[in-house]
Amino acid sequence: MMKNIIFLKDKTISLLTFSKWALVASCFILLAGCTKNFENMNTSNAGITDAELKADFNFIGQYYPSIQQHIFGEEGDYQLCQNLNADAYCGYYMSPNNFRGNINNESYSLVDGWNVDVFNMAYGQVMGPIVVNLNNSARVAYPHFWAIALILEVQAMSRVTDYYGPIPYTKQGTAGAKTPYDSQQTVYNTFFAQLDTAVTNLTTYVTANPGLKPFAKFDMVYGGDYTQWIKYANSLRLRLAMHIVNVDGATAKTQALKAINDPGGLILTNTDNAGIQGILSYHSPIWWIGTSWTDLACGASLTSYLNGYKDPREAKMISPATAPAGIAGQYVGIRVGTPVGGKPMYSGYSLPNFSNISEYSSMILINAAEVWFLKSEAALRGWTSESAQTDYETGITTSMAQWGASAGNYLNDKTSTQADYVDPQTPQAGVANASIKAMSTITIAWDATATNERNLERIITQKWIANFPSGGWESWTEYRRTGYPRLFPVVVNNSNGTINTDLQIRRIAYPSSEYTNNATNVAAAVTLLGGPDNGGTPVWWDTNKGKANPTNF
Amino acid sequence: MLLVPCIAFGANSHQKASVATGTKTGTSLNVPNAAAIKGVVKDETGTPLAGVTVAIKGTNTGTQTDVNGAFTLNAKPGDVLMISYIGYVSKQVTVGNENYLTISIISDTKSLNEVVVTALGVKRSEKSLVYANQVVGGDKLNNVKGDNLMNSLNGRVAGVDISPSASGVGGSVKVILRGSKSALGGNQPLYVIDGVPITNASNANMQPTGTYGGSPDGGDGISNLNPDDIESMTVLEGASAAALYGSQAADGVILITTKKGKAGKAEINISSSYTNDVISYKPQFQNEYGVTPNGNQSWGPKLSSPATADNINDFFQHGNNLTNSINFSSGNDAAQTYFSYANTHASGIQPTNNLNRNNFTFRETAKFLNNKLTVDVNTNYINQKLTNTPGIGFYFNTLPGLYLFPRGVDILPYKNNYGVPQLARNNLLTQNWIANEDIQQNPWWILNKDPNYGNRDRMLINSSVKYEFNDWLNLQVRGNVDRTADTYQQDRYAGTNPVLTQGINGSFIRSEQTVTQMYGDAILNFKVPMKSDFKIDGLVGTSITDNNTVGTTYGEGIGLLIPNVFIDQNVLTSGSSNVTTLPASHNQIQSIFGSLNFSYKTWAYLTLTDRNDWSSTLAFTDKQTYTYPSVGLSLIVSEMTKLPDFISYAKLRGSYAEVATTVPVYLTNQINVNGSGGVTLVHPVPSSTYQPTNTKSYEAGADLRLLDNRLTFNYTWYKSNTYHQFIQYTPGAGSIYTVGYINAGNIANNGMEIKLGYDIARGSVFNWNSAINYSFNKNKIVELEPGDPTATVELTGNGANAYESVLSQGGSYGDIWGVKYERNAAGQIMVGPGGAPINDGKFVKVGNPNPKFQLGWENTFNYKKFSLDLLVDGKFGGQVMSMTQMTMDGYGVSVATGQARDAGGVTVNAVDPDGKAVTKVDAQTWYAGQGGRSGIAEPYMYSATVVRLRSASLGYTQPIASSFIKSVRFSLIGSNLIYFSKKAPFDPEITMSTGNGLGGVDVFNQPTTRRFGAQLNLTF
Repeated sequence: MMKNIIFLKDKTISLLTFSKWALVASCFILLAGCTKNFENMNTSNAGITDAELKADFNFIGQYYPSIQQHIFGEEGDYQLCQNLNADAYCGYYMSPNNFRGNINNESYSLVDGWNVDVFNMAYGQVMGPIVVNLNNSARVAYPHFWAIALILEVQAMSRVTDYYGPIPYTKQGTAGAKTPYDSQQTVYNTFFAQLDTAVTNLTTYVTANPGLKPFAKFDMVYGGDYTQWIKYANSLRLRLAMHIVNVDGATAKTQALKAINDPGGLILTNTDNAGIQGILSYHSPIWWIGTSWTDLACGASLTSYLNGYKDPREAKMISPATAPAGIAGQYVGIRVGTPVGGKPMYSGYSLPNFSNISEYSSMILINAAEVWFLKSEAALRGWTSESAQTDYETGITTSMAQWGASAGNYLNDKTSTQADYVDPQTPQAGVANASIKAMSTITIAWDATATNERNLERIITQKWIANFPSGGWESWTEYRRTGYPRLFPVVVNNSNGTINTDLQIRRIAYPSSEYTNNATNVAAAVTLLGGPDNGGTPVWWDTNKGKANPTNF
Repeated sequence: MLLVPCIAFGANSHQKASVATGTKTGTSLNVPNAAAIKGVVKDETGTPLAGVTVAIKGTNTGTQTDVNGAFTLNAKPGDVLMISYIGYVSKQVTVGNENYLTISIISDTKSLNEVVVTALGVKRSEKSLVYANQVVGGDKLNNVKGDNLMNSLNGRVAGVDISPSASGVGGSVKVILRGSKSALGGNQPLYVIDGVPITNASNANMQPTGTYGGSPDGGDGISNLNPDDIESMTVLEGASAAALYGSQAADGVILITTKKGKAGKAEINISSSYTNDVISYKPQFQNEYGVTPNGNQSWGPKLSSPATADNINDFFQHGNNLTNSINFSSGNDAAQTYFSYANTHASGIQPTNNLNRNNFTFRETAKFLNNKLTVDVNTNYINQKLTNTPGIGFYFNTLPGLYLFPRGVDILPYKNNYGVPQLARNNLLTQNWIANEDIQQNPWWILNKDPNYGNRDRMLINSSVKYEFNDWLNLQVRGNVDRTADTYQQDRYAGTNPVLTQGINGSFIRSEQTVTQMYGDAILNFKVPMKSDFKIDGLVGTSITDNNTVGTTYGEGIGLLIPNVFIDQNVLTSGSSNVTTLPASHNQIQSIFGSLNFSYKTWAYLTLTDRNDWSSTLAFTDKQTYTYPSVGLSLIVSEMTKLPDFISYAKLRGSYAEVATTVPVYLTNQINVNGSGGVTLVHPVPSSTYQPTNTKSYEAGADLRLLDNRLTFNYTWYKSNTYHQFIQYTPGAGSIYTVGYINAGNIANNGMEIKLGYDIARGSVFNWNSAINYSFNKNKIVELEPGDPTATVELTGNGANAYESVLSQGGSYGDIWGVKYERNAAGQIMVGPGGAPINDGKFVKVGNPNPKFQLGWENTFNYKKFSLDLLVDGKFGGQVMSMTQMTMDGYGVSVATGQARDAGGVTVNAVDPDGKAVTKVDAQTWYAGQGGRSGIAEPYMYSATVVRLRSASLGYTQPIASSFIKSVRFSLIGSNLIYFSKKAPFDPEITMSTGNGLGGVDVFNQPTTRRFGAQLNLTF
């Protein structure tokens, strides 16, 4: 190292030069070896080298636990990425915590500091390692690992695009920090192509190596069983296909049939449900923020449907209110956008049933019931020869089984509808009481004589119930696509006129960090979006835009 | 052990002298007997001078004055005492019949050969210095003792910004010299003891990093020292002063010179000080409105009679600090010994917050080989135990619970029963509190059931060997080991708020850390023997600094198996380990350096320095070495040319210097980490061209002494630019990388420092010296990333709370970002349908806490045996944020919310969504809208201007002739006594963190204290 040093260039005083050479000599004498240990010294003793990670595929496999955990995130990440936006907007939850004096996402005042976490998690924690590291180390050499990465990437990024519309996606890895955005159509087409690769790679591997599970150590979903991952990929394809039915019916149908007809099959029984669980003490963030933080309670829309339907799942899913006295023992949620006051004013409202949604419960990504409802919709649209009714009813019974509830006469209930919502307290002076009449007249039992639109409302409403507690992001997407189930609007709208209370929120605004770090590209994205970057602009597949009488056929 | 020979030596030499002057027939009655003469030596201002040599002419008998200026000597009438002290005109005094002498000497400013300690411990004449330096004597540092000696510098030195941390006794202090320069670096000065750098290490806990807090300040290294061991502190603020210390000195240097044994008579000093602390301000509460029905806030109905409870008084206590120290000093010309022991016992204003520190120092200095070889060894051992350092921020802090407690509700049941037994768990206690929120817990629960313990053992050994080849050449070889071993533990009992602990059985964290710094250097000092007006001296040297950390942290895992058993084997884990090896941060800097000083006559001095470093943290880059020069010129105008008589001394100086700072450890070689959440495989933005951060600075100034030295004036102007900043950033959310570093940018600081001193009265009975120091620093981020003027660096993220600290181009260091009111074009606040102020949640700059300028004014009075010292200082300008006030408003406990309710609402100039004017808004709607922990920052920004009586001491010195005790000094002391002006609801000087972030924000910080006390010094 020493010989590379050029001393003369900055020397004008010869005496100093001389003394320096003298000191170089003394340096050798006094500091034996000088800089030869520098590389060793500057390598952290608390780190792990790539060579040490060769065994058991750790050098690629160790990316996966983090990727899987960051789909939902834990605690605060889950809270910011889903619970304080999609979960509230789809009527599942409402927080009894008066964050930011109730002027926050839940009352349509979009909090940039919260929503930026969606980007940070998806790109930093999920996409980054996939696009850089796994792309280099697994794509060619370990195509089965790469297949899992693609499925997880599609799963995670579908939430991001459905929240925002256009997102940076296909140009990832080529443009550094200044990534251009893609139209949502391009993003969806890429999803389908990625799922093609995933299913092909896994099918090839399973055929060649039956029973081998090299991914088991890193698998938080299926314990390394690739045949299950194929079902998951197909089910994900079916879900995404249905999202775009109103804007690109042809692709929707093609992709849906591809999913349904793939020999690898779909998730059709609860034992096949895809969910995140185990490894490195990952716990249910719903349990965590519900019990430790006491930051969530059920939404009024959820309790009004479960109450109105006298749903056998109700007691399994949620627990009765404990306070105030007027509602103790009943199932009463909080209406979205209620100015809740400080805790514990609304803390006694219905909570998830934490004996069933417990610390290490799986965070479900896609369950069998949802797939049955998707198949029912496909049948309703005439894409398959299946019975839409049978698929619908199988969806309900599968969900009942998931919760350990007995359907009883539920499938034949032709009269029960969503109940009115009554809030016994008025949160504060100057704010209206949150009580509201039911929005929906849809009943439970299949009605072969009803219009497709009515039966779709039935399907989506039941799918919505079945996707509780962790499917809020999909439920908000489906609410926006179909207009169902009919959900209570916000009590207070603090959007400053950008979001119509009745049409409800249609998307989330891009994080301001994109405007500071990626300004040109985000401006182009807003052009692609076709409207202002706020919560009132619908995304590409959102053709109903919240209108009172949705048309899906 | 060495006491004996030196006493014997003193006695013998006197006997010889007496024999020589007496008659040869033995004991003579007509020759006066030598007797103990006592006296004191003072300077022209009446300040006692320590270390003055007092010798009897024509003999070997002599002594030196002690810290109080006192001396004792066996002399007889007729003897001539020779008083000599460096930088002062020597004086001869003939002993008469008095047994107590008061001797004044005056400073020798005509030639001003005052010697100052400069970089590397090199002593140089004041005249030749090309930069500003400021010296604070040990007496000033010990005038009013605090827990952290750096606080004693506050207000006394121009250009130094000192912010004590808000973490009670044992807390750190943030010291910034001439502005923050580095985005990623520490920005704090290098501390150097007797020429050798020491570490200023915190424990593994480090500093809080966000407004949630949760992890208390771990205390710094400098506060461990015993202030009584310190002879003086020299502040080298500029880069030129520090150029020879290299990388570590880029942010300035504080040189500490410690006491050593003195040749002469053995001496014992005992010092004892006691101080009592009370909180110096309280938050203002409303007392009219009670608890919200079904809630825990205070938006409830009007109380039938106003609340009278004083929860603050029910919680805080008086803090105490009892410091006792003793030192022994003795020696002869060949060897000197110094030993000291000090004990500090302090308790904070928060109950259970205690500090106990023991300092041992042993120093031996000896000369060998005909005085050519000097060996100096200084060993220190420090043990410090710190319990229950208060949490700062929302978590594990007692104050949110205390302040947010609903008005009109009795808090005493929660104080007396902070835990309630749970029958189902066989009476295991769980927390008893009115609210179940992460940001507030029962304060007494935290004190008793979330305790923390820190223990520090520190060994500091300095040694130096110096050999004088001849009178123009010497070689000095030095080494030191500074080893600090810390343990820290924080217990979280079952029943603690579950957000803050793991599981239902409680949890704990623990860390063990040993930081070792080894330093060695070899320096050849030369003075070219020349017999001309032109002279050359200088040095060449080489040094090595090695820092290494060894340690482990034990995380919470997923909680405990058996509740409240805080031992490692009781920690449960699932899937991953709870134990983490601390990164060693092992780094080494090897250097060669040289300095050349040219002088012409006694009035022109030119200094050139150059240093070259090899840094281990630059491994894996293209270039592991960097070099940086400095040049400076000093002209003594008063000796160059004849100046008017009223100018006693005039000096002009100017310098240019560069200092390069190496890159942070491991940054050039980031590898995968196995943390508690699994293996994190790192993927940084690739770069192989990292280069050191480089500060280029200019400095110019003048030193004047006027009117027979009564008036002194020092002026310094400086400008520095720091380039190649290392800025860690999270690449745009669309990026494939998780972390990147920009190696660019330019942070500029410029400012000036003025010191003015005047001897208003200079007499033998009454002296009055008045000194003013003034400084300002203007910091500007000229550029961060050349390619992107909008790039920002987050020093503190908002964490979904109201405060951010952000660096941005065009801004300045420490800028506070927060949310502002949304306003229409006419500037009216826009409110929602209910009347609450709207905000878009976007963070923008709302202020900067750094003062525009600082002013200190010190007055020292001496009247006979009394002395009075008063220090007033002010920091002017700047803005700070109170999240305490913001949260209290949101909860309806603040006095503002009560007044608004009394007035039927908040009077505002606002418009609603329909454009209709709104003039009155319901108090709860308004304050809930702008308050809380994530509220609107704009109304919670306050002026940071604060002017205070920083310290006062009134002393009385009684020299005692002819008794065992030589002198007694008693003083009454006080600090932070009066706020002449303070606009914020807290002390804006206090900082949550001594790191780069969290400046200027109050998140339930511990209030500052007003301190009174007394101090007793005895000299034997």
